[in-house]
Amino acid sequence: MATEESPPREGKGQEVMVQQTMPEPAAPAVPALSTPPAVSTVRAVPDGDRRLADSVQRHLSKLVVAPSFAAVLLFVYGFILWTAYISFTRSRMLPVYGFDGIDAYVRLWSMTRWNVAIGNLLLFGSLFILISLMLGIILAVLLDQRVRAEGALRTIYLYPMALSFIVTGTAWKWILNPDIGIQAFVRGLGFETFRFDWIINDQMAVYTLVIAGVWQASGFVMALFLAALRGVDQEIVKAAYLDGASLPRIYWGIVLPSIRPVFLSAIVILAHLAIKSFDLVVALTGGGPGYASDLPATFMYEMTFRRNQIAIGAASAMMMLATVMAVIVPYLYSELRGGRRVQ
Amino acid sequence: MATLTIDRVRKRYHHQEVLKGIDLDLNDGEFLVLLGPSGCGKSTLLNLIAGLDEITDGEIRIDGRVVNGVHPKDRDIAMVFQSYALYPTMSVARNIGFGLEMRKVPKAEREAAVRKVAALLQIEHLLERKPAQLSGGQRQRVAMGRALVRDPKVFLFDEPLSNLDARLRIDMRTEIKKLHQRLGSTIVYVTHDQIEAMTLATRIAIMKEGVVQQFAPPQEIYERPANMYVAGFVGSPPMNFLPAVVAVEKDRLGLFVKCEAHGAWSDVFLPLPPQVPVQLGNGLAEHVGREVVLGLRPEHITRAGSDLASGQVVVEASVGVLEPTGADTLAYIGLGGQDTVARVKPADAPRTGETASFALDLGSASLFEPKSGARI
Amino acid sequence: MSSSLSALPRTHTPGARALRIGLYLMLALFALYYITPLLVLVATAFKTPDEIRTGSLLSLPLAPTLDAWRTAWNQACIGADCRGLAPYFWNSVAIAVPGVLLSTALGALNGFALTKFRFRGANVVFGLMLFGSFLPFQLVLLPMAQTLGFLGMAGTTQGLVLVHVVYGLAFTTLFFRNYYVSLPDELVKAAIIDGAGFVQIFTRIILPMSPPIIVVTVIWQFTQIWNDFLFGASFAAGGAQPITVALNNLVNTTTGVKQYNVDMAGALIAGLPTLIVYVLAGRYFIRGLTAGSVKG
Repeated sequence: MATEESPPREGKGQEVMVQQTMPEPAAPAVPALSTPPAVSTVRAVPDGDRRLADSVQRHLSKLVVAPSFAAVLLFVYGFILWTAYISFTRSRMLPVYGFDGIDAYVRLWSMTRWNVAIGNLLLFGSLFILISLMLGIILAVLLDQRVRAEGALRTIYLYPMALSFIVTGTAWKWILNPDIGIQAFVRGLGFETFRFDWIINDQMAVYTLVIAGVWQASGFVMALFLAALRGVDQEIVKAAYLDGASLPRIYWGIVLPSIRPVFLSAIVILAHLAIKSFDLVVALTGGGPGYASDLPATFMYEMTFRRNQIAIGAASAMMMLATVMAVIVPYLYSELRGGRRVQ
Repeated sequence: MATLTIDRVRKRYHHQEVLKGIDLDLNDGEFLVLLGPSGCGKSTLLNLIAGLDEITDGEIRIDGRVVNGVHPKDRDIAMVFQSYALYPTMSVARNIGFGLEMRKVPKAEREAAVRKVAALLQIEHLLERKPAQLSGGQRQRVAMGRALVRDPKVFLFDEPLSNLDARLRIDMRTEIKKLHQRLGSTIVYVTHDQIEAMTLATRIAIMKEGVVQQFAPPQEIYERPANMYVAGFVGSPPMNFLPAVVAVEKDRLGLFVKCEAHGAWSDVFLPLPPQVPVQLGNGLAEHVGREVVLGLRPEHITRAGSDLASGQVVVEASVGVLEPTGADTLAYIGLGGQDTVARVKPADAPRTGETASFALDLGSASLFEPKSGARI
Repeated sequence: MSSSLSALPRTHTPGARALRIGLYLMLALFALYYITPLLVLVATAFKTPDEIRTGSLLSLPLAPTLDAWRTAWNQACIGADCRGLAPYFWNSVAIAVPGVLLSTALGALNGFALTKFRFRGANVVFGLMLFGSFLPFQLVLLPMAQTLGFLGMAGTTQGLVLVHVVYGLAFTTLFFRNYYVSLPDELVKAAIIDGAGFVQIFTRIILPMSPPIIVVTVIWQFTQIWNDFLFGASFAAGGAQPITVALNNLVNTTTGVKQYNVDMAGALIAGLPTLIVYVLAGRYFIRGLTAGSVKG
């Protein structure tokens, strides 16, 4: 801030303020018009001083970004390299720095638990993305029908995003618990043989993650699509309507295709959420029963902080990075290219 | 109020040269219009004068002082932008006074200056409003007020009227002209509108692809365009270009031009005025037998009356489409192997399809080299 | 924001009426799906343990009581510590407030510098920072733990502030950059000619135009930091834990009798701040956030 306040300007003596007062014109009708309005300031600043101030100004922009950029370089890229290196060592409880080749990766991929976690990620990820997307689009289209109380409904659909899963997981666990939740509730209605015990069933536990994950994220997808729907060119819609297209056809044939970029954004965001999912699992199933509902995120945490298998934890983190990169890099590439075209 | 010199100015972006050596010299109180199509480099030149962009080569001098590398705030210039660039969170008064505030002018003085400018532009009643509450024309005035209040040496206008509707644009054009006449300030004004350029400028610099094509007062640009590009850019409808051959017939220097009359094309000899006017230049004789381009503005092709002014010759030509514009009627006639526009009085307007006689004012014509397009 | 159909006339045939009734029915069913977990939380938090045992999942409390809330706030035992969630709540405040303010301020400055005072390589810098918003944080857990230890900030709330600021930068910079890109450059040119410098242009002209994006960023950062569990669980020791970690410990305590009503009240206490922020300012958040993410 200080650099800005003091462009080296010499003392007041040199900064001559010339109040331009023209002689009063004879005709009083045009006094304001014939007078050059205002004040002019004539300065005699040595060019050298000014250049210094200007060059500080010119570099201020870089100086402002520099700390953040340095932090990102260190805390993001530096740390990725660090983790990458650790994944090639024999580190267990504490990091050790002797190079050990790809041993950690070999051991990682030979662990049943890791393979379960990866399988779960594929299953959970694809269902989570697909259902959230469909639900989000349906909700957005429904809300787009000029409904009453749209604001209230939007708030209800969206609030899960504002809450931590550690919070709502408490309720979900209760709802999914066969002894006190839905199963007990339906049995209480007289359906004695009703079964809904996925959360304690090692074949089905991962699907409870889908139920709760969709519950939390689909409102966000809805908001994305709703905003995009509202940006659609009204003229196109009008033209389609005049051509006699039905409402479903207008949406399916005109409106949704015109917001194609949002599909891409939504899929990328959802995929990213799926890969990162951690507190969802911790709060709902704890990865259980056993490790039946583990995801890579919980696997990594378990290995690193509970099992003293730092190298394997690092290797699993690198695999997560690879997965994210596979999704993100093509997306970023297309986005940045798109951005350049606009400029 | 000051002189402005632009000396061999070049600007390169990466490896593309967008200004290829611009030389312009403005006297105190001149109104320079930079005219050209988009991409000709006129806005780049304005940004260089303002100091918003760095010059690659050459010099810019304001009042004799070289301002290369001088920060915009220290150049003593003010600028009016196409989008007005009013600060949306500030009131009109603060918008106008912001430049003075930044220069640490005492509050009372500042307020007095703002009031004076507001009175000059008749926007006193708007001073407390925010830009969003103003109409396009009012925003335009505020933008001008912001420039005027500092009483700078040079005013820079970057297409200031292009966001206004047609009617308002004409009004504001007149007001800018009045302001210039009252204040006598030095102004550089960028536009692609040739009518703005003609009405406002003391001198126009017509630019194309980073090169100044002609730098002259409006009337001279109109009457003696330096090349076919300038001739075609200024004037509406634009100048007619007729392919012609220079020849000597019966000791008279003249031009053969194709002409359509009674349904057939033929070569017609148009004798140049006996005293070849100055415009047509000397040394035309050496072009005898060669092809040239005859440039004739529509108003120099009229219906032939009973008495001809000196320099006028009469031709018969068939009439195609007629376009009444109110004051005049534009007639497309078969001349020069193409449709050529004549400007005739509505009362004299011929009928479509007939062959009528037209008077060509060769004394006001321009001749161009067909290949280079340069004036002969 | 108006419907994408707002240019079309409304129809009022009987068929259209039936369709609209169906539409509202579906909207209501979806609303039930989203609201049920919250209803369960609220209803249970006001019940007595007896009522939970005898009543059903969705029944409303017959005799609402604040006992569970009081217990959760300052009596519940988390591990051996029986001071309730209150100290952890204040830990979260101590992490979230400076974390939000710092990361938002830095994001605003970065966004301004990267769009309005562009320098050579600004796009590369932005691209590299943007990647941080997609980073799976598992990649940095280990080195961050080491670094915090090295800085003497291991297990402290200050350490968590640092972590949240660093990893929030990508988002805050992205938000501000996308917003500032849409402001006309001529404003900055005009201000430069008016004699304003980098800091003055930022504070006097750009910042006063920024409330919409500040709201978005503050809400985003606040929910992210307040709801964080991974960093809190990884880096905070006992007394410095944020409320999410404490809540998880409370809920997953296996010793003693399970007090569901206390769990639910605790969950609501932990969720209340973000819920309030969201209900009060969520509208602006959605508007800005969707604009930002659609643009990328």
